[in-house]
Amino acid sequence: MPSSSALPLDPLTRRTALRAAGAGALLLGTGGGLAGCRSAVNAEEGSAGPKRGGTLTIAINQDFTPALLFTQTGQSLQNRLIYNTLIRYDDDLEPQPELATSWEYAPDGKSITLKLRDDVTYHDGRKFTADDVVFAVENLRKPERSAQLAATAKAVTGFEKRGDHELVVKLAHPVSNLFDLFEFMIITDRHSVEDAVKGKKLNGTGPFRFKRWRPGTGLSLARNEKYWKPDRPYLDAVELRVYTQPDALLSALRSGQAQLSYHVSGKHLATLKSSSGFTIKQYDTGNGAVYVGATLDEAPADSKAFRQAIAWAVDRDRVVDQALGGYGLASAAPWPKSSPAYSEANRTHYTHDPGKARELLKSSGVPTSRTLPLGHPTTPLHTAIAEIVQYDLQQIGIKTELQPFDPASFQKKLISGTMPTLWVNGHGFAQVQPATLAVSAYPFNEARNTSHFRSAEYTEAVQDAWRQKDADGAKAHARYQKISDLLLDEAFIIDLAVQDSVQVAAEKLRGPALTKFSYLNLDDAHLV
Amino acid sequence: MTTLSFVRARKPGPGAARNPHQPYRKALATTRGRIGLALALLVTLAGLLAPLLSSHVPTAQSGEALLAPGSPGHLLGTDDLGRDLLSRVLYGIRTDLEVIALAVPLGALLGCAFALLAAVHPVLDTVVQRVFDLVLAFPGLILALAITAVLGPGRLPVVVVIALAEIPVFGRQLRAGILVQREREYAVAARVGGTGRARLLLRHILPNCADPLVVQLAVSLTVAVFLEGAMSFLGVGIRPPEPTLGNMLSQALPYLAQAPHFAAGPLLVVTLLVLGFSLLSEALNREIRR
Repeated sequence: MPSSSALPLDPLTRRTALRAAGAGALLLGTGGGLAGCRSAVNAEEGSAGPKRGGTLTIAINQDFTPALLFTQTGQSLQNRLIYNTLIRYDDDLEPQPELATSWEYAPDGKSITLKLRDDVTYHDGRKFTADDVVFAVENLRKPERSAQLAATAKAVTGFEKRGDHELVVKLAHPVSNLFDLFEFMIITDRHSVEDAVKGKKLNGTGPFRFKRWRPGTGLSLARNEKYWKPDRPYLDAVELRVYTQPDALLSALRSGQAQLSYHVSGKHLATLKSSSGFTIKQYDTGNGAVYVGATLDEAPADSKAFRQAIAWAVDRDRVVDQALGGYGLASAAPWPKSSPAYSEANRTHYTHDPGKARELLKSSGVPTSRTLPLGHPTTPLHTAIAEIVQYDLQQIGIKTELQPFDPASFQKKLISGTMPTLWVNGHGFAQVQPATLAVSAYPFNEARNTSHFRSAEYTEAVQDAWRQKDADGAKAHARYQKISDLLLDEAFIIDLAVQDSVQVAAEKLRGPALTKFSYLNLDDAHLV
Repeated sequence: MTTLSFVRARKPGPGAARNPHQPYRKALATTRGRIGLALALLVTLAGLLAPLLSSHVPTAQSGEALLAPGSPGHLLGTDDLGRDLLSRVLYGIRTDLEVIALAVPLGALLGCAFALLAAVHPVLDTVVQRVFDLVLAFPGLILALAITAVLGPGRLPVVVVIALAEIPVFGRQLRAGILVQREREYAVAARVGGTGRARLLLRHILPNCADPLVVQLAVSLTVAVFLEGAMSFLGVGIRPPEPTLGNMLSQALPYLAQAPHFAAGPLLVVTLLVLGFSLLSEALNREIRR
């Protein structure tokens, strides 16, 4: 019987064999060549140290918003590239010199004397002086700057200049988060600040000069040849490119179009973990936290029992596993492990207990018949968290409808306090001095918060923790615990998980680092 | 926006008592028509029978099986929140069909109404045509983004966008038919016989313009599947957690390398649905033109 082979097999002709052998040799040669190149790079790196040059492209998920230059948002990476701050925190929240070389706190905590660098110039060639620090503080007080640290800036009552590079900052009262202000506050050029908030001209003292901003595309920066750190930066240029779709951002990294990103969500990192050519670094100091917020002047969120029921209902471990891809810590309190306010008891104050949540709802008699709006930004992370929260609330009988907002509109609503009854978002400020969270972060601000929560007890506890010279020690810890107790009991902000920043960098990139306020420091970054 | 080329209307010949349903029957008897109808019916039935075909609630989440491949418990696997993909695909078909079945006929009705209105007076015709030009000047997705910027994302804006995009398509199609038909002898005779303008348009001319509109309906269903999918894909369509084919594809895209089964289901269904409607419209078009 004849066989019914679909296609006749190609006989191995001499020409085919020669072709195959040639291709094999070429591949081997290329492979050998590549291996040779790699060895050469390694040898070069080992012997000569970092080399100057190259352009680094950073993939970001939201465009730069110049109007929010003085606000900490999800997009503050560029701040430490163009500008400098007075100090920078190390991992133990100890201030280290930047534009301020040394400082001396008055014994009563009502003034601090700063000595400033005298070898710093702005990108346009103007010298940096104490007047620029005075302007920076005064600028943050203006309501139109929407600066979360405005309260701390407003505690400054005056300045005493002692020459161009020494400044005494006078305070109405001691503040425990003064160094947070110095870490957060970018030193802008006082003559062009209005152009800066329009995205036309960003003149700073940082390692890179502003070249242009193309809305929707990103920022282009070039090396500052007159940077005050000798021989820094190594890179010639930095491009921040906007990829709003997570898959496009991943593709940009995988294809080599971008070499660095902090915006790959935890659950999408699995696709990069398996591919070589990337290093993934986790910042476990808590760069932010995700939470459910409640608007207290809208029923039934005005009921404490209702809010506490939500806190018991949400499965935080699932949020960490499914939405954060494991890069986080389930926590009922906002504090990361590195914070002086952290305690295991606070973290586990609320756990996943739908039975207890139902009981609370039942005993309080709060009606749950109405479908409540649950706002969230349209970013995939927040959408996933909102879906998890919606599902968990449904299990205890609270019906919600998701209300997506684009991130810029959401931020505006957060600042203006016009959120729906419930919302899901992320907050920062828990990674620095605890008082900053309660006087500066929009959701927690004791004077005016997004939830419209008012309480004399909360105000007193916050002010007590804030109006201190010392930010650490047993007494300070007791004050922080009081704030934690109130936050957990009132539950106007229901923390779900502390979120770790994750840095995805191409293997050939070395040295990028994040500051405590998520500003990107590329002083020592170089390509190998 | 897809539109059809001019389709020749048949003359109502004397004594040739034509069965108005004959071309449709013939079209459905062709291979193209049969395959198209079978695919469209298959997908529609799958959506209609979703509660019977799936044992899972499409929004029910599980912490145990994330991005799991197909198994006896979850035939198509699970998504990134542990939801059963089969039930999400089936209910997604339902959602899509509900939106499309509402939006396309609505757009067709309004388009036809505007075309009839335009036929009443030349000034009205000019106004209506310029309005159509204005709508057609915006590509479908730009129109979608503009409308959702005002209305916010959700089911209603998707219906509005699809209907709005279809109004000038049907309007132009019917207007072209009316311009041809009103010069024919039967129309002239009716006018001379004293038939009123409205009666002439509705009773005599409109039925003779119906064939190309039926074909356009099938084409528009295809376009609507794309438009709904694209809106959900961009995050301005139907709100999560309600499954739609578009938002499932959007969620699945970052996991293409890690869990290709996540995208496979919705992708297959969209392909089948579009192929079905396309074959059907082509079969109808060929028979009507014959």
